[in-house]
Amino acid sequence: MITLPHIPFIVTIVLYFVSSVWSIGYIINPTLFNKKLAKWLMMMGFFVHSGFLIFLGLESGNIPITNVYESFISLLWCVLFVYINLDYLYKLPSLDTFLIPIVTALSIWALTFDGGNLLITVSLQSFWLIAHIIPIFIGYAAFTISFSLSIMYLTQQRQLKHKLFGPLFSKLPSLEGIDNLMWKTISFGFPLLTLGLVFGTFWIRTQNVLGEMWYLDYKVILGLATWLIYAALLHMRLIASFHGTKIACLTIAGFCLVLFTFIGTFFMGSKHAFQKVSEQSHTEILNVQ
Amino acid sequence: MSILVVGLNHKSAPVEIREKLAFNAHNIPPALSLFLQRHQSAETVILSTCNRVEMYVSTLDGTVKVDDILLFLADFHKIELNSFSPYMYHYMDDRAVNHLFFVTASLDSMVLGESQILSQVKEAYTTASMEEATGKVLNQLFQQALNVSKIVHTMTSIGKRKVSISSVAVEFAEKIFQDFTGKAVLVVGAGEMCELLLKHLYEEGARTIVVANRTFERAQEIANAYHGQAIKYELLGEYLSKADIIISSTSAPHYVIHTDQVKEAIRHRRGNPMFLIDIAVPRDIEPDAANVDNVYLYNIDDLQSVVSQNVDERTREVEKCRTIIEEEVEHFMARLEEMRIEPAITHLRNHFHTIGKEELDRLKPKIKNLDNGDWEQVVYTMERTINKLLHHPAKVAKQEAKNGGGYRYVETIKKLFGIFHHTDHSQH
Repeated sequence: MITLPHIPFIVTIVLYFVSSVWSIGYIINPTLFNKKLAKWLMMMGFFVHSGFLIFLGLESGNIPITNVYESFISLLWCVLFVYINLDYLYKLPSLDTFLIPIVTALSIWALTFDGGNLLITVSLQSFWLIAHIIPIFIGYAAFTISFSLSIMYLTQQRQLKHKLFGPLFSKLPSLEGIDNLMWKTISFGFPLLTLGLVFGTFWIRTQNVLGEMWYLDYKVILGLATWLIYAALLHMRLIASFHGTKIACLTIAGFCLVLFTFIGTFFMGSKHAFQKVSEQSHTEILNVQ
Repeated sequence: MSILVVGLNHKSAPVEIREKLAFNAHNIPPALSLFLQRHQSAETVILSTCNRVEMYVSTLDGTVKVDDILLFLADFHKIELNSFSPYMYHYMDDRAVNHLFFVTASLDSMVLGESQILSQVKEAYTTASMEEATGKVLNQLFQQALNVSKIVHTMTSIGKRKVSISSVAVEFAEKIFQDFTGKAVLVVGAGEMCELLLKHLYEEGARTIVVANRTFERAQEIANAYHGQAIKYELLGEYLSKADIIISSTSAPHYVIHTDQVKEAIRHRRGNPMFLIDIAVPRDIEPDAANVDNVYLYNIDDLQSVVSQNVDERTREVEKCRTIIEEEVEHFMARLEEMRIEPAITHLRNHFHTIGKEELDRLKPKIKNLDNGDWEQVVYTMERTINKLLHHPAKVAKQEAKNGGGYRYVETIKKLFGIFHHTDHSQH
């Protein structure tokens, strides 16, 4: 159910959606759809998005990850944040055409988690929580970008292979260029993921947040699998200097695992420091903290 | 003021005629000065490229006629007038302007939208102005032509798509590789097409070049030209995996590079993409190689079909260019008309000021008690009155000029005020 306080997020989604339409439209008809407008719409969306997170944070007095919905929104914010910085640094042509629709789709999905029936059970003031969450979120954001880059790579390689020289062909950068950026984003995200996981492990060991059988938690297992797949990717690229479509496909697989680790585990019944609560006990838990 | 162009191009004349009339960098300056000796009040520019020879001439009174230019060309090149005159075209005034804008914007070129003509026109104009063969009219005209070409190229996509096999191939290579420095190019066979492509890649930064050819000497020749390395044809297989780009155009009747070899090469390269360009007929590279992952194989037909698509695209843009040019011609003709009446207006102004000065000279001895400051005020008032009186007629004249009637208007005013002089030469 969508309640009034979530209107800003819906505005954000609308802005992202229109920005997507514009950035895709720009590829098809550059005279009708303005590239700059797409960027501005995205930036406007990002500001509303940021404002909404600040509002959520001020309202609860905590960083906005108190439930799955908030975590999801925070993660999406990280994606945009990393993208805007990367775009500033590297000038990524046409990446927004791939990334913003993905962000829009994920935002719509995030809306379905509204209702807050999965609430965080650990102290939000804990240093360990921050140390665990923030690097992982930024790492995931980098992986989301590498995912959209790999989609871009596969699109361009398909066009080259099948000799389809449509309007998209001329606007996409070279395969090598995309491959390099993909590599840069992964090698940026991986150390952060590692750091987050290490802090998480410390946290578990020192404060016993997931109970005795913590290593059987789905999220822990899948987190490790995610780490392994990106470690394998890095190994292939660094040691075996692998390039091309295989790397792109593996990056996509890696991101699917990221998404599954982040959201899918809740469907499998993993709580991972969240608890299913009814509306009444909602405030009680927050009060206890 | 008239503008005249006389010339021939690849459409109007065969190469045997064009080459007879062609100028080169050395004989253009003497030709210009010879022409100006004959026609002292004229301005002229000679544009000579491999596809056209044109002479642009402007005179104030239209004294230089088409025949004068033809005669000059015949004399200068020492050829029979009749041998080339049937191939010549000529345009006057707005049509001449239109023609130059068309030529400069590369709409009259053999390869529509090519960029070379722009620099050729620029050079022709610079040469003429260095020789002081151009004046007010042709300076304006040529500067505007260069300008219009830029407008046409930015507002339309006439020059955007590549229209030669080698440039299309390089464009594709740019979609695979970020840059060519550090990329290895393997050239198999040493045909002309191969070399053209290699030249293009070299210009884009490719520096590691390996050439393999049946005749080793020819391979060496090309390799030397591009600071590359020539290898024995038999060693080709060993070099495959090292090459990022392979250009093949042997005259072999069978495949020279097989799928297995490409597969092996890609395995060695660990997925680093390879760009294979097969411009040979019959083909050199086994077509199945295209199915190997990370291999991008293009044959002559693939490239040719893109070229013809792009040519079509350019042809579609011609109408848009034509509209822009027509507008610009109109602007230019209006400005020319303005230029035409400028001397007349100056003359009118001078006439009024002379009268004013005469009257002041007459007045000065009659007034005694006036100090210098006050006298200056009187002079100033007189000048102001004259300028005010003339301001409106001059403005209207300029407006009329834009519609093409300015000259007659000024003549009427001159008649009205009793100003008589034959032509505006003296003002120019």
